[in-house]
Amino acid sequence: MSARRILTGLALLAAATSAASGQTTATQTVTFQVDAINQINFLGGPSLVINTAAAGSNPTSVTAPATWAVTTNQSGAKITASIGSAMPAGVTLSVSLTAPTGAASAGSNSLSTTAVDLVTGITKVAEGPLAVTYSLAATAAAGVIASTTRTVTYTITGGT
Amino acid sequence: MVTALLLLSSRAVRAQTIVVSGNPAALKITTAVAGSQPASVSDNSTTYTVVTPNPANRTYKITAQLNAPMPTGVSLTASLAAPAGATSVGAVALDLTARDVVTGIPRQTNATRTIAYQLSATVSAGVITSSTRIVTLTVLQFP
Repeated sequence: MSARRILTGLALLAAATSAASGQTTATQTVTFQVDAINQINFLGGPSLVINTAAAGSNPTSVTAPATWAVTTNQSGAKITASIGSAMPAGVTLSVSLTAPTGAASAGSNSLSTTAVDLVTGITKVAEGPLAVTYSLAATAAAGVIASTTRTVTYTITGGT
Repeated sequence: MVTALLLLSSRAVRAQTIVVSGNPAALKITTAVAGSQPASVSDNSTTYTVVTPNPANRTYKITAQLNAPMPTGVSLTASLAAPAGATSVGAVALDLTARDVVTGIPRQTNATRTIAYQLSATVSAGVITSSTRIVTLTVLQFP
C-alpha cells in the first residue's frame, strides 16, 4: 500500500472520530376522536294571557318570545316538541322556531302530547340565540282558565 | 514519496438527546355548549427529558411535527414547558412542518418538563372515529 493511500485513510479516520452534533428525536402516538354531538338549549319562561277580544270575534291571541341555541356536528338533525299534557278544550298553544343556517322551520305548530317537527335539516351548525315565538289562542267556548302551566319538551334528533 | 506527520486525536462528544415518558391519553371531543363549537379537550400527562452537551456558545431548540395532517376542522396543539434558561413558544398547532416549540435551550441542560396537548374541532369536522397521529420531537443545535 502506498504512503499516499495510508495517509488518505488516516485522514478519513481522523474526520470520522470527531463528533458532529446530530439531531435526536422522540415520538409520541396521539389518539383522538370526535363523537356525535347534538345539543340544544332554550331560554325564557314566557307568560301568555288572553284578556280581550274585538266584540263579535273570538278572544284575541297573544304571543311571547323566547330564544334557543343549537350545536350539531351531524347532517340532517331535527327539532321536535311536545307538551306533557293536553291543553284545555278550546285553547291552543303554538310555537315557531327560527331555523339555523341551512335548516328549515316548519313555522308555527300547535303543541300536543305528540311530538311535532319544528325544524328539520339541521347540518353542522353552532348557532344561537335564535328566536322562539309562542302563541296562545282561545275560543269563547274555552271559558275562563286560571293560571296554569305546560312544560314544552324539545328534542334534537341527530342526523348522520 | 510522501512524508507527513499526521496527528490523530479523537474525542467523545455527547450529542443532545430527547426522550418522552410515553403516549398521552386518548383525546375525545364529546360535547358542546348549545350554540357554541364543540368543547376542546386536553392532556398533560406526559413529559419530555432533554439533555444538551457542554460545547461553549451553543444553544438548542426543540421542534415538533406530525406524520400526517389533522382532519379538516380538527386542530392538535402541543405546548412544551421550557427548561431553565429556555423559552417555550406556547401552544403550537401541529402539522407536517417541524415547528419550534422550545427555543434557546442552554448547554449542559438536563431537564424534564411537561407536554400539554389540546384537541379542538369545529362542527364542520363532523364525527371522526378513533384515529392516531405520530408526533416527532426533535432537539437540535440552533443557531
